[in-house]
Amino acid sequence: MQAFLIGIVSIVVGGGLAGATFVGLVNSQTAAPDKSPADVNAPAVDYGNTK
Amino acid sequence: MDQVRRWAPAAWALALAVLLLGPALAPGYLLTYDMVWVPDLALRGDFLGLGTALPRAVPSDAVVAVLDQVVPGMLLQKVVLLGGLVLGGIGAARLAGPSLLARLVATSVYVWSPFVVERLWIGHWPVLLCWAVLPWVVLEGVRFRDQGRLGAALPFLLLAGSLSVNAGLMTAAAVLAVGLTRRGAARLVTAVVAANAPWLVAGLLHAGDATSSAAGSVFGLHGDGLPAPLAALTLGGIWNADVVPGSRDVIVLPLVYAVALVAAAVAGARPLWRRLGRRTTGALIALWVAGYAVALLSWAAPDALGAVAEHVPGGGVLRDGTRFLALCAPLTAALVAAGAVRLAEALAGVPLRVVAGVGAALLPLALMPDAGWGISGELRTASYPGDYAAARATLADDRPGGDLLVLPFSSYRAPAWNHGRPVLDPLPRYLQPDYVVDDRLSVDGRLLAGEDPRGPEVLAALALPDPEARAAALGRIGIGLVARETDTPQGTTGETPVAGTPVYTGDDLEVIAIDTPVRDRGVSAGWWIALALAWGSYLGVLAVGGWNVFQFGSATIHRKSGSG
Repeated sequence: MQAFLIGIVSIVVGGGLAGATFVGLVNSQTAAPDKSPADVNAPAVDYGNTK
Repeated sequence: MDQVRRWAPAAWALALAVLLLGPALAPGYLLTYDMVWVPDLALRGDFLGLGTALPRAVPSDAVVAVLDQVVPGMLLQKVVLLGGLVLGGIGAARLAGPSLLARLVATSVYVWSPFVVERLWIGHWPVLLCWAVLPWVVLEGVRFRDQGRLGAALPFLLLAGSLSVNAGLMTAAAVLAVGLTRRGAARLVTAVVAANAPWLVAGLLHAGDATSSAAGSVFGLHGDGLPAPLAALTLGGIWNADVVPGSRDVIVLPLVYAVALVAAAVAGARPLWRRLGRRTTGALIALWVAGYAVALLSWAAPDALGAVAEHVPGGGVLRDGTRFLALCAPLTAALVAAGAVRLAEALAGVPLRVVAGVGAALLPLALMPDAGWGISGELRTASYPGDYAAARATLADDRPGGDLLVLPFSSYRAPAWNHGRPVLDPLPRYLQPDYVVDDRLSVDGRLLAGEDPRGPEVLAALALPDPEARAAALGRIGIGLVARETDTPQGTTGETPVAGTPVYTGDDLEVIAIDTPVRDRGVSAGWWIALALAWGSYLGVLAVGGWNVFQFGSATIHRKSGSG
């Protein structure tokens, strides 16, 4: 019974971690660029943007 | 097993730090936003607080300038970044108690945190050092409370944790909240004030200019992918969307992280209270509330904080509210670790507990996987162009008097040699003289006013109609050298000629010496005396720490020789 429980918990924990990792990686790799390409005529480089 | 229990948290902290920094540990310099390291930073008056600009980099720049006389700048930067992350991880593990599971979970939560990732990316290394020493400060504060002695470590922790204004305030708050007692109050307060004296005195001397633009409210808490108050619970929510990992931009992962943190924290509250006692837990809670409140205030009432920054000297220190989330980190890590242990203990059998424990220790990594390997490769190092070293060598041979002005007159660059990543212009730090830089900040394409009174004077001088008049005007405000970087968007000021004698001409950099008389930017004797006392106090803390280390070492040797 205990071996069965260990198996279930391992699957849940491992599956959860793998799933979260997978979702995170896919999201981070497929998200739209968070800023526009640089404007070579811009006089000042932005310190950041809040959008 | 004892050896595993002893060394596993340190090994785990080291592994996390290496994984987090990744390419940043390669040869070269990590130059990202406010993080500027150069091969050999020359100590100059401005780094001591004598400049006209607000002393934002006091005492960090001066400390680096001294240390890189011993350790090359490139290596020193890696020691600071890697050492800081490892130190923070081990400190969190110590704070989490004796359980191995608690130690590993605390290390993960403390190191693999949105706060660390975002502050690393934006280059706030003094704040990260403060974050790194906070768990140790709490532990040493407890020891001070019990023994009434500063000990060998606390003076050094205070110095390392007080390298900037925000950092100094947070370190001071932590040690006073935990360690203050009636009998030790004078000693502890004296040590705290002395460790913070350089920026404190320099700030007071600049009090007349120490108000900021009300538009600085843009630096308040943002939500990443979450509602802002929830993002702050996970220790994230920096104002700058450009330094937020992609995994924080979607709602699912940070939301799961927030729920897991809160659940574990609730479960861990009682065990932590029992282990640390009312006074220490109460202090940690007070620090958490203070950090969270400042962050939340910068989101809920940004205009009010902007008004404070505009009217109250030094009020601008509150405007980047999420910096203060460092105060929340020790309690968060300790609570979650205690909660993980409690949950694991509810499971029957060692194997189940091991599985749950490993899962808990890996959860922060799984929910922010793109933070790994230098935020998915964002933190690549760069090498300085040959022009920089050549110009520095030329100026070292024969440096004209006066300060340096770099054109185009704007504070940040995004050079191709730095992979197009924005960074505070490194050239002024790379060269040796004191310098004048544009301290206006461009956020969302909008310029926020700076504080240095010489900034508008430079702009007025550059607006004059001919190169000779500009040179004369610059000389009158103490500028003797003008460097022009040609590999960056020039704007109006970049293309404005200034009369003078070329002293260095390279591919992308030219430096001229102004021929007209250059006014000596005199510093009053009062300023010298005040800052000498401040730095003397700072060095006094260092001396006390050194003396305590000597005494501790002597006592240990005596003890060993006695028992042998």
